[in-house]
Amino acid sequence: MKSFEYTVQDPIGIHARPAGLLVKEVKKYASTITLSKGEKSVNALKLMAIMGLGIKQGETVKITVEGDDEEKAAAEIEAFFKANL
Amino acid sequence: MALDYRKCAEQISANIGGGANVVSAAHCATRLRLVIADNSKINKKALEDVEGVKGMFESNGQLQLIIGTGTVNKVYDEFLAVTGVSAATKDDVKKAAASQMPLWKKILKTPGDVFVPILPAIVASGLMMGLVEALAKVIPSFGASGWFQFLDLVANTAFALLPVLVAISSARVFGGNIFLGAVIGIMMVHPALMNAWTVTPTNQPEVWVTLGFLKISAVGYQGHVIPVILAVLLMSTLEKWLHKHVPEMIDLFVTPLVTVLTTAFATFMIIGPVFSVLENWVLAGAQWLVTSTGGIGALLMGALYPFTVVMGLHHMYNVIEAGMLASGGLNIWMPIASAANFAQFGACIAVAVKCRNAKLKSVAFPSSLSAALGITEPAIFGVNFRFMKPFIAGVIGGAVGSLFGAITSLGATAYGVTGIPGYLIINNKLVYTVLLLISGGIAFAVATVIWKEEKAEDAPAEEPKKVEAAPFDAPAVIKCKNGVVKQPVKGTVVKREDIPDETFAAGTLGDGVGIKPVEGLVVSPFDGVVSSVADSKHAVGLEANGMELLIHVGVDTVNMKGDGFDCLVSEGDSVKAGQPIIRFDMAKIEKAGYNNTVAVLLTNSEDLEEVVCG
Repeated sequence: MKSFEYTVQDPIGIHARPAGLLVKEVKKYASTITLSKGEKSVNALKLMAIMGLGIKQGETVKITVEGDDEEKAAAEIEAFFKANL
Repeated sequence: MALDYRKCAEQISANIGGGANVVSAAHCATRLRLVIADNSKINKKALEDVEGVKGMFESNGQLQLIIGTGTVNKVYDEFLAVTGVSAATKDDVKKAAASQMPLWKKILKTPGDVFVPILPAIVASGLMMGLVEALAKVIPSFGASGWFQFLDLVANTAFALLPVLVAISSARVFGGNIFLGAVIGIMMVHPALMNAWTVTPTNQPEVWVTLGFLKISAVGYQGHVIPVILAVLLMSTLEKWLHKHVPEMIDLFVTPLVTVLTTAFATFMIIGPVFSVLENWVLAGAQWLVTSTGGIGALLMGALYPFTVVMGLHHMYNVIEAGMLASGGLNIWMPIASAANFAQFGACIAVAVKCRNAKLKSVAFPSSLSAALGITEPAIFGVNFRFMKPFIAGVIGGAVGSLFGAITSLGATAYGVTGIPGYLIINNKLVYTVLLLISGGIAFAVATVIWKEEKAEDAPAEEPKKVEAAPFDAPAVIKCKNGVVKQPVKGTVVKREDIPDETFAAGTLGDGVGIKPVEGLVVSPFDGVVSSVADSKHAVGLEANGMELLIHVGVDTVNMKGDGFDCLVSEGDSVKAGQPIIRFDMAKIEKAGYNNTVAVLLTNSEDLEEVVCG
């Protein structure tokens, strides 16, 4: 299992469009990817669930990657967060 | 030299950061249209130098590469293969849904897909044929006149030359060239061939070619369906394969030539003969069943009869009937055919009565009328067999009716008509009435009980859906197997692709539609649960029956931070169709300088089957 934390920089937080891009990215990997904010954790494949977290700018989220390609997935998803969120 | 599509696609992929960087890929007549996640990975200079790329520009958030007519589709196919990106068009979503269907379902669906477009022709012919033939029985002098000959010609054109219609329609269904399809169809009823309807044990067609155990007989396929569909399926598959593998320069003359010639050989040497052997078995089996096994045979034959109509074998039954009459007995075949046909009538009229879809109703009524007159093809192919359950209902009704006919020793003194016109040749009109009532009645009752209209299928978008309690009769904007999404905002529906936001338009968030609102109120499009509400109150997520729906008011309106928006529900609430969810101030959105198009998107559309938008 791999995980990392990220503080959202995007001024609008993770809303519809960024969430959609995230799901698109996450779909590429076989690993199960979980997005957590505080107590709440959601499957990062579920767009509605991600939006339901209501992640705003400056909030820190934890991303957990578990599965066969977790090394690669974690690294690439972290890069994705830095580039887009 | 022909372009190496694979190489071209590989080079494009290499210069845009690979498949991982592609959000979606589509193509038009000349251009490859890509939506790229990270534009900084695009190597524009190198892209322009790729062999096959005639130019490039960026527009509407798309990277457009000019490749050229006739080649862009091939490069596109290779591009998808190289990058592993899936095509994002609606058609492909549909195709994907279809390819998930089990094989037997696909096979059952095919005759329906082929027949629906040609229904007007066969409904017209079916009705006319029933009437003209009945009239000829009532007035023998009419039957002998030129008028009859002419009207019969008009009436039976679509049936006698049915293979032509079936072939053209099949070519469309299977993606072949419809003119090549027409050639195959016409070939199968070519005047140089003997008419299949005139073949009898004593009147056999000439054998033109003998190659070992393979033979080509000079006989046509009048009235046939299945062999034609098979032939055109072969033709279309072959044609598409050849288009892919034959070098472009000689494609235009090599592909059609090879396609038609190969299909012709396969049809006349294999498909045709296999069917004629099957036909003879069916004929012999049918005759044995009815004449040697009494009531049980009649019961079975009544059940099997409509299947033989599907195969196009029923045109040969005249041989059996003529044989019965020639040997001095009654025609006991006719009551069976009548029971089976009238049962299909019963099932079809049940569909006509029960369905709400206006289009289906308009097909089912005339089709059932034609079936009552003894011509069941429109009813079977256009309605009953398409939905299967009514067909089964007809099988049951026909079987029971046939058994009744055998027990009561019904018989006819001539042949050629069934159903209502059958009164003209039956030996006991009263018992015949009971037979028709039993077959039609049972089929009607069974069909009414077991058949339910599938809402998603063929339901025109403008058809109002009436819900008993609270009528929320907005039209459906998205349909899928799991249910329908009604229009949640009053206004003009626009295509997803035309939503003025590239992420929505590209389908990144799922398939759906946009709505240009005329009033600032969003209502729930179905009975469901609120799964998320944006803090800025301009968007909600809803769930119902596996459908995850995002309703997002305006483009970039997240920046208004809730000003001008009022969300009337909260996360976890249950909502009813038509219940208000968001109020928004159109003037404020306009003042803030944002587009107010409401995006209605099924965010999990990729996981749903048969998604249709708009």
